[in-house]
Amino acid sequence: MNLNMNMNYVESLVLQTKRLSGTTPDDLNCLHSLLKQSEETLRTESARFASSLADLDPFKHSLGYLYILEACTAGTISKELANELVLSIARFISECDAEQIRLAPEKCIDLFISLCKRFKDQVMQLEAPIRGVAPLLTAIRKLQSSSEQLTTLHPDFLLLCVLAKCYKTGLCVLEDDIFEVDQPKDFFLYCYYGGMICIGQKRYRKALELLHNVVTAPMSSINAIAVEAYKKYILVSLIHLGQPYIDLVTCYGNGKISELEAYVEENRDKFENDHNLGLVKQVVSSMYKRNIQRLTQTYLTLSLQDIANTVQLNSPKEAEMHVLQMIQDGEIYATINQKDGMVRFLEDPEQYKTCEMIERIDSSIQRIMTLSKKLTAIDEHISCDPQYLAKAGRERQRLDFDDLDSVPQKFNI
Amino acid sequence: MDFSLLSDAVASKSYQKIASICDDLMLQAATQGIAFHDEWPYPIHLLGHLYVDDINTARFLWKSIPSSIKETSPELVAVWKIGQLLWMRDYAGVHEAIRGFNWSQEVRDLVAAFSDLYTKKMFELLLSAYSTISIQDTALFLGMNEDDATNYVLQHGWSVDPDSRMLTVKKQPVVKEQKIDPNKLQRLTEYVFHLEH
Repeated sequence: MNLNMNMNYVESLVLQTKRLSGTTPDDLNCLHSLLKQSEETLRTESARFASSLADLDPFKHSLGYLYILEACTAGTISKELANELVLSIARFISECDAEQIRLAPEKCIDLFISLCKRFKDQVMQLEAPIRGVAPLLTAIRKLQSSSEQLTTLHPDFLLLCVLAKCYKTGLCVLEDDIFEVDQPKDFFLYCYYGGMICIGQKRYRKALELLHNVVTAPMSSINAIAVEAYKKYILVSLIHLGQPYIDLVTCYGNGKISELEAYVEENRDKFENDHNLGLVKQVVSSMYKRNIQRLTQTYLTLSLQDIANTVQLNSPKEAEMHVLQMIQDGEIYATINQKDGMVRFLEDPEQYKTCEMIERIDSSIQRIMTLSKKLTAIDEHISCDPQYLAKAGRERQRLDFDDLDSVPQKFNI
Repeated sequence: MDFSLLSDAVASKSYQKIASICDDLMLQAATQGIAFHDEWPYPIHLLGHLYVDDINTARFLWKSIPSSIKETSPELVAVWKIGQLLWMRDYAGVHEAIRGFNWSQEVRDLVAAFSDLYTKKMFELLLSAYSTISIQDTALFLGMNEDDATNYVLQHGWSVDPDSRMLTVKKQPVVKEQKIDPNKLQRLTEYVFHLEH
């Protein structure tokens, strides 16, 4: 009897889902409350509901599908089942109708997010992070109301990219300018993993920007993300900017390659444990570059032998190869004269009058103008915020008490 | 698996598209839970990244390939050898690595196209970095014997000093589009006006 009732219950819920997955918000709201009421049954009868999924269409019946799939995938899952589950969630993510999920009340988005998070955990448990890369990117795009919004799935996606070594794929979300953040932790992790991806692609400027965001973000107590980010921030800033910091950095500042190498060798274990040894090695080789760059500021021409002596390279040929690499990468402008064994340092040939350059300048100005408008809008928003005004008024009162300033009363609303 | 996009790109010699086509196909295959490793055209995929000069991504791809596959595909190892030499900027070594393997039918054209492109890039590099350079080094950079290398650069207007066996580089003026769209200029003028007032 009980079994029979539940059978009917499953069938009727599936029917209702089909009937109410229409276009009007009223229908969706109605369906949503129905599904919400059934949550407990969904869980206890998840096996029976699982087979009913075949009867539903992930796009047409997204809301119902989401509830049932979420219930079916809750709880512990065996390794054999995990494979199935990853496939069905991936299919749902790629086919579901984001509008339907976003139209429904807040709770549905949370449900969608928790399904995606579970999906991420499963692909990691299967030790196949690459299986989650494309679906999570789709999920982010479906969840976002605009590309300026950071979702809680961003860090998960970037982590999978790092684990699957799909660094290039990770770059596509890092190119968006983020203005809306909900949870600070998501933002920290986004910046940390994003920093790692940019380091992997040798985009040091962007990596510094991201890591800098973590290191300088206001936080009540320091967290592990910020500590790890700071370590990488120091190393990248050495490679990219050559700015002096702490011990390694004092060595670096002296400009003596032999001392730097000795220090790195001494502390090799420490860097290796932090998984930063690769970066440290790049720091060492960047020192040659830095020293050569310094020479370009002083000399117009210099012999390869003198360059080798000054930056502690073994031979003029080695010096030539270093200079050549830097020319190749556009880091210096110079011409090597093999006949005389000389290098002539040149000015940057850019004259800022090509169409390409004008295009770049124009698009930079456009971006800055957009940013400036956003800042003004936020500023106006805050200066109208009653909470802020009340607090500012109180502070002013307290601080200015000694001055016997009577103005601040005006601030109280 | 449907590799038709890839085979189209190879057939039409659109080699610059190979890397991203392969990347996408791989993510799709992984999403569908297909065990793709054994039949994956790794040598082509890896060469695709090298062709567009994306050595970072090539390196990460190499790292993600299961060792069982690396051990059983000498061709894949030979492609990666090129990648390593590019990474270490062993300019002459790249040419040797290209010549040092008997490439299979499937990748032969792609390798040849990469080789041509690489030679062109090396010539551009010499052009921008040297005022004079020895015949011997030029031959190493271009991956040719000394006579062929000398002929190649003479055709581009360089001159040779037989006594010192040195080549003098003939710089070519780079022609870039300088004609500006009046609307652009108008807009930049407005910015400056705005800033000054």
